[in-house]
Amino acid sequence: MQETRSNYRETLKALERQTLEALDMVVQALDRALEAISYQDVELAGMVVADDDRIDGRYLEVHQGILSLLALQTPVAIDLRIVAALLHVIRHAERMGDQCVNIAKLIPLSGYEAPKDKDLLDAIERMGQLARSQVSQAKQAFAERNSDLAYDLLRQDTEINQLNVAIFNRALAIGDDIETREWAMHMILVARCLERIGDNAVDIGEQTAFVVTGLFREFADASHPG
Amino acid sequence: MIQPRLSLKRNREMSSTDPPTEQEQGPQAPEPRAEESSGSGAANGAGRAKKSAGHQVSITDLHAYYGATEAVKGIGIEFPPNEVTAIIGPSGCGKSTMVRCINRMHEEIPGARAEGRVLLDDQDLYAPEIDVTAVRRLIGMVFQKPNPFPTMSIFDNVASGLRLTGNRGENLRERVHKSLRAVGLWGEVKNRLESPGIGLSGGQQQRLCIARTIAVEPEVILMDEPCSALDPIATLKVEELIDELKEQYTIVIVTHNMQQAARVADSTVFMLDGQVVEHAPTSELFTMPKDERTERYVTGKFG
Repeated sequence: MQETRSNYRETLKALERQTLEALDMVVQALDRALEAISYQDVELAGMVVADDDRIDGRYLEVHQGILSLLALQTPVAIDLRIVAALLHVIRHAERMGDQCVNIAKLIPLSGYEAPKDKDLLDAIERMGQLARSQVSQAKQAFAERNSDLAYDLLRQDTEINQLNVAIFNRALAIGDDIETREWAMHMILVARCLERIGDNAVDIGEQTAFVVTGLFREFADASHPG
Repeated sequence: MIQPRLSLKRNREMSSTDPPTEQEQGPQAPEPRAEESSGSGAANGAGRAKKSAGHQVSITDLHAYYGATEAVKGIGIEFPPNEVTAIIGPSGCGKSTMVRCINRMHEEIPGARAEGRVLLDDQDLYAPEIDVTAVRRLIGMVFQKPNPFPTMSIFDNVASGLRLTGNRGENLRERVHKSLRAVGLWGEVKNRLESPGIGLSGGQQQRLCIARTIAVEPEVILMDEPCSALDPIATLKVEELIDELKEQYTIVIVTHNMQQAARVADSTVFMLDGQVVEHAPTSELFTMPKDERTERYVTGKFG
């Protein structure tokens, strides 16, 4: 049984590599966006916005590559599951990149010398770390076809969701200073973006489980929380 | 025990005016094309009331040999009625041999023999009292290369089996026309029924052979690579035809083209080295095969 279709195998591997690299780009964008928040760095935020073109470009590249592969090689069985999953994963990566842009665009709105609240900022930073770790873990789980690691994303996501609620409550109670309240409102939006990134990471985990088992199921159903 | 349905057919044949000798020579020749002899027991044009009441073929512990070589090594497969079952697997895996055991053509090859059980519904096709010719009449076969009778007209190609069972005149004409319509050939040949069958294109010839097979109203149709000599459009026409034919027949198709199996078959059997590795609904076999060897074969990881 000699290996056959080597060109096809290479193409499929390259597509997976390109897709997972997009998740690395997301991690990089997320790091910068979080740093920009911590230091109110408007210039760094601008770079996050500009660099999102790279992730969008990668999305188009992978999308086109998958269409070609489907048309020319008609993958089946596990190959077909991988290809179908990659289409989802690259889409999620693109969405997560957009969330980083959304975060970055909020930063200049608070001006260069925005007032800050330490508790709130700590919660945002903690949330950002969790989101970052989720994206990395989603990538690792997919690359290793590790459905246990993929399922573990749900645990982290629960913590992110709790922080999101806590941030909302802290912002409500932040006091009367108008500028501080405005900043806090922006932080609610940032928290919302981070929460979405976490959801996207969980979705990538679901795709990993699909590749491994051939069955698709949602890890958690938002409309029927259990 | 004499199987009622088969023996019935044999009686009818005996009562027909034409002695069936000529017809019997066909299937016994080692050449694959010999299949065509399939005359019909359903001599009266009305036929049996079997439309869409399908028949099941079951194979149990089937072994097939060419001399000392065992080509099929104890397999069991159920072919459900009114379904298309595709057989895939690398060359030499025994898939054609297995199919040729179903209508007892395998044993026609010198030195070849088969052991095990093949049931058509509940009739054992290998029981000693079974009339082999009757088996081949109930189980039609279509081959890789279209093989119309070279000296016969389009009409006579389809009529040949019917004439052997005593169909004449208007009744014969009606049944030939009906078969040609069923394979979608009628519009293309109705004005030249008397021209030679081999004057048709490859795809038309193959549909002519299918018309010849169904004219005698078999219960099961075996197809051994029916499209491998056809162009893509003719292939799609035959595939569409297969889809229509399963309303009335149980169909087994051997194919090297996995996409064809994916397109036409309800379930697919993967064979390797004389054995069945996996038999599953087609969509399952091509999206999440259970056996590692199936996975490797359908994804092209070994040739």
